[in-house]
Amino acid sequence: MTTLHSCAKMISQLHRLIPITCSGQRGFKRWVAPVKKVMAVRQKKMGPQPVPIRNTFLEWNFDAEIFAFNKRLSEQFDSELLVQALTHRSYVIQEEQKQRDVGITEPKLDIEDNREMIEEGAELTSRIVVSYLGKCLPLAPEECIFALHDHLLSQKTLAHVSSHIGTKDIILVAGNIADEGILADTFLALVSALTRSVDVIHAGAFVRDFLIATLAEKDLIEIWTPSNPLENLNEILRKDNRQLAEPRLISQTGINSLIPVYRVAVYSNKEFLGVGCGETIDVAKEVAATDALLRIFNLNNYQNLKYDLKVDISKDNMENLPLTKWCTENVQKVLQLKT
Amino acid sequence: MNKIITSVVENIRTFTDVTTVFFIGGALSHRDTAYPVIGMSTNKSLFLKAAFPRAPLNNGIGRYVCQLQRVTLKFCKNNGSSRGMRDFLENDLLNFANENPGVVVYVKPRRHKTPVIVAEYLNGDRFWHSCRNYSREELLKWMEHIRTQAGDMTNVRLRKMWHTSFPSIQGPWTPWTFKNPEHIFAQYPNKEFGQAVQYKPTATEELKRLFKEQQEAKAVQNLTSS
Repeated sequence: MTTLHSCAKMISQLHRLIPITCSGQRGFKRWVAPVKKVMAVRQKKMGPQPVPIRNTFLEWNFDAEIFAFNKRLSEQFDSELLVQALTHRSYVIQEEQKQRDVGITEPKLDIEDNREMIEEGAELTSRIVVSYLGKCLPLAPEECIFALHDHLLSQKTLAHVSSHIGTKDIILVAGNIADEGILADTFLALVSALTRSVDVIHAGAFVRDFLIATLAEKDLIEIWTPSNPLENLNEILRKDNRQLAEPRLISQTGINSLIPVYRVAVYSNKEFLGVGCGETIDVAKEVAATDALLRIFNLNNYQNLKYDLKVDISKDNMENLPLTKWCTENVQKVLQLKT
Repeated sequence: MNKIITSVVENIRTFTDVTTVFFIGGALSHRDTAYPVIGMSTNKSLFLKAAFPRAPLNNGIGRYVCQLQRVTLKFCKNNGSSRGMRDFLENDLLNFANENPGVVVYVKPRRHKTPVIVAEYLNGDRFWHSCRNYSREELLKWMEHIRTQAGDMTNVRLRKMWHTSFPSIQGPWTPWTFKNPEHIFAQYPNKEFGQAVQYKPTATEELKRLFKEQQEAKAVQNLTSS
């Protein structure tokens, strides 16, 4: 009786369940391939189609987009300055032309373009990047800082950052399509607008979070490696009054094969400096010297690049030494002066 | 028995309630059918674009930015298939917009058409989803899903559930990785290094030996006592 009772209870609950069904399909859809082929032929015949431009859609509210842009980045842009930073010169010219076409001989518009902001932003961004990197990597030579700076301020990197923070659709530009150059310029203009809205330190945090943080995905060695590493290493050791670098073959394998490997380490007075592998001894020597230099410059570990520092470009100057002047004593002097 | 059955039923019910399956990086959804299809295997995934879960623009290293930049909710004002969407708009949309000020929400009524969600992401992806006959609760879950994913990941096969730019922490393997330093200075041919590897007895073998010894000792004890 109890089992019957439990069964009844279960059935009463079962009807609430929806059965898991698995419906297979039978037969081949023989029309699919021919239709797709015809469609592909027609598409090819039509040629490349214009990309739909988002800000010409019916569902588009520029003010809402500007508001959301500010909130999304948790930033404090002044909305007028933000609109100005997003207004490209070509847009103003286009608007003036529109008025002329209607018959107004002297068109008057109260929109300002971002030419000034781009210039100001370029200078600010450049200074922020240099002083931030100088603060992060005090042991790195000047050349390295400038190479990283050039990489970060290249049009490609700036455009990538700019489009990924959502400027692509809201830039005001003639023809509504922003190319790489315009995207990059807009990012610089945004830095300027943020400086005007809040201050430089705040703009520094913006540059750090969106631009400098892209270095986290990069291998710094790909962006900069010292040229003539063995000579440079010897130069530094000489200035430090240490014995010159002594490359030693520490192991080798497959010498008689097509892919031999040599492992060379550099020592100074039996003190290990760096190690590297290569298919010839000369290559391995160069790699080992590069490794030694990177260890000296504290660039061998990507964790040395921090993304939570604050910079004030009026106080924090980049004082990294060029390779020609680099020696431990000079670096220590500079670091002591800083503190 | 009764208890076990009811608990199983409960479990099935909670399982069927879960309509959306999230992975790390807010990636995949499982909601073409409301209930997970069991025991079906296809090689469809081979034709999908292969990708790794990536954070666009180092999201989270500097600061977190919600990747959903705008969402358009299209619906019909009197068609039955839009009923859930209308309920959602009346009850939950304002909350959604308040909680996510960085997302621009557009609502677009259109006559006699299926309700649709179109989400646009910062990386340029556009995620289109038909919400025909969805309930308000289902829509809530879908809105949460599109809010938390980083881009349209529907037509993507994840090659791994993680990604790293630094695949090896200890450096690439070389023929000398984990090599005994003693071997460097050894003179070859060397008797010690050249001999066959002598394995010590495994833990199982050791246990077996101990057990055997114990049994034998017991047997001896029994014999002496009797």
